[in-house]
Amino acid sequence: MIQIKDITKKYPKAEQYALDKVSLEIGTGEAFGILGPNGAGKTTLMSIITTLSRPSSGNIFVDGELITRKRNDIKRKLSFVTQHISIRKDMTVREVMELSGRLSGMSGRLIREKCDQLLEYTDLSDKSKNCARGLSGGQQRKLMIARALLSDPEILVLDEPTVGLDPHARRKIWDMLINLKLRGMTLLLTTHYIEEAENVCDRVAFINKGKVSDVDTPFKMINDLGKYAADVFEENETHSYFFPEIQDAEEFVSSTDKMIRIRETTLEDVFLNKMGEGLGREA
Amino acid sequence: MNEKAEWLDLAQEKCANEKSGLYYVFGGIRTAVWEKWIEFKHEWKKITASSLISPLLYMLALGWGLGSMVNTGDRPYIDFLVPGIIALTTMNTGYNSVSVSLNVQRLYERSFDQVIISPTPIFSYIIGQMIGGALRGMYAGVLILLLSIPFGVSIHINPLFFVVMFLNGMLFSALGVLASVIAASHLDISRFSTFVIIPMTFLCNTMFPVERMPAAVGVIISCLPLTHTSRLLRGIAYGESINLLSILFLVCLLAAFIVLTNVVVNKKNNL
Ligand SMILES: Nc1ncnc2c1ncn2[C@@H]1O[C@H](COP(=O)(O)OP(=O)(O)OP(=O)(O)O)[C@@H](O)[C@H]1O
Ligand SMILES: [Mg+2]
Repeated sequence: MIQIKDITKKYPKAEQYALDKVSLEIGTGEAFGILGPNGAGKTTLMSIITTLSRPSSGNIFVDGELITRKRNDIKRKLSFVTQHISIRKDMTVREVMELSGRLSGMSGRLIREKCDQLLEYTDLSDKSKNCARGLSGGQQRKLMIARALLSDPEILVLDEPTVGLDPHARRKIWDMLINLKLRGMTLLLTTHYIEEAENVCDRVAFINKGKVSDVDTPFKMINDLGKYAADVFEENETHSYFFPEIQDAEEFVSSTDKMIRIRETTLEDVFLNKMGEGLGREA
Repeated sequence: MNEKAEWLDLAQEKCANEKSGLYYVFGGIRTAVWEKWIEFKHEWKKITASSLISPLLYMLALGWGLGSMVNTGDRPYIDFLVPGIIALTTMNTGYNSVSVSLNVQRLYERSFDQVIISPTPIFSYIIGQMIGGALRGMYAGVLILLLSIPFGVSIHINPLFFVVMFLNGMLFSALGVLASVIAASHLDISRFSTFVIIPMTFLCNTMFPVERMPAAVGVIISCLPLTHTSRLLRGIAYGESINLLSILFLVCLLAAFIVLTNVVVNKKNNL
């Protein structure tokens, strides 16, 4: 379990708080998504959880224990896939993996065994002797995910893990994440692909300007907004109206002669709505 | 991707061997030295070639060229020069091999992030980096010894000679680590080099004796570590008795750099 308690972060010379009293609780085995616009503070929060960056105030507890840079036993439970590519480009794929394994204190034999399996799983086997510099952006990202899994973390933190991946690869990563979740791994991820969070996450939190606004299951959020959406093109813009039942939506359609499309509401609608930049209005 | 997720099944094995803190400390040192070794393995040809160039130039220009014009008593100038070159080369190599690559990893490739979040104590990893840098410095030093053979240099060598080379390399690798964690940009590394490393290269008893300097300047220079290294190496090379205080001075300075680096690393909120 990860408990985030009143985390505040102000970068040196920054005027605004990157995080402002953020409190969250993520259960063991839960897949938790953090959604928010650019600059909302998602990466900052994840860096603090993984001790990459220190909070200005507040604490993070993992399984009830305060995590700091010095707590090697707790850090052992975590792996972090950063938003930026963070691999040594002068090393080969295999060496990148080995470096990470060694840093996690794994034996050479275990590293070799798991490395082969993970590279195979991420389609990188034939690249294992290539320099990381020679991988495509998507392959580098897959390598980061493979690397993160090498040490068998209990908690996997992923900051936009599927940026730059093709649709197939992205879905494979989703399947992999769901697989990991089913095996009891705790997942914490951010993404701008709301669909990804809807697919993978048990619960999501919305964060904007350093503040967490809503925390709930995607299902509940969609239900609260209205399960059905009607997109109306009016005044040169598409406006979405939400309805709890399909009959309500159909009634609305018959009451107007504008161009209308009825569909199921997605988490993206919720996101657009909550973030204030949404074009939708409640009907 | 493979359908079977076998890699997940090794989880049990991990739990079976929980590691103690000391395991991670030694593991961290070993990992960093291994990393420096991989770096070397990939680039050893370039590293070797570039480690040969500047000593060769020093020996040609100063040893042969200038050396034929200077009167150094009963010893040829090149015998005086070679220990100095070894001192400055172990310094430069130690400093550069650590500061440049660590800086690239910290600010550009950002792979240093992985070190921070890993269970390996950063401190032990950093010690490992220093050892790796010291070994690289020694490698360059040994190359110069080999290079000096065709120049007909006659100097004594004993195990202590290598110890001093290592110590000097480690001292400046430590400085390299310190510079790279303080640096806000890559340019800072070369600026630091311009202000600290290059002056020492020329002034610290490397190409001419400190005694030739004005007394006041000499005092300052005597406080710089490279002066002591050159003096030690030259003492051994000449077969004279060496000053143990100089060794103690280097060891203390090294300890101070290690502590300082550790303090800086721990104080930084955003590495
Ligand atoms: N190293 C830094 N120094 C100063 N300010 C920073 C730093 N990193 C982030 N910030 C600021 O903190 C705020 C939050 O940034 P953060 O990277 O956490 O956003 P994010 O939610 O991850 O955004 P994105 O979706 O674009 O990745 C931003 O306003 C950003 O300008
Ligand atoms: Mg981010």
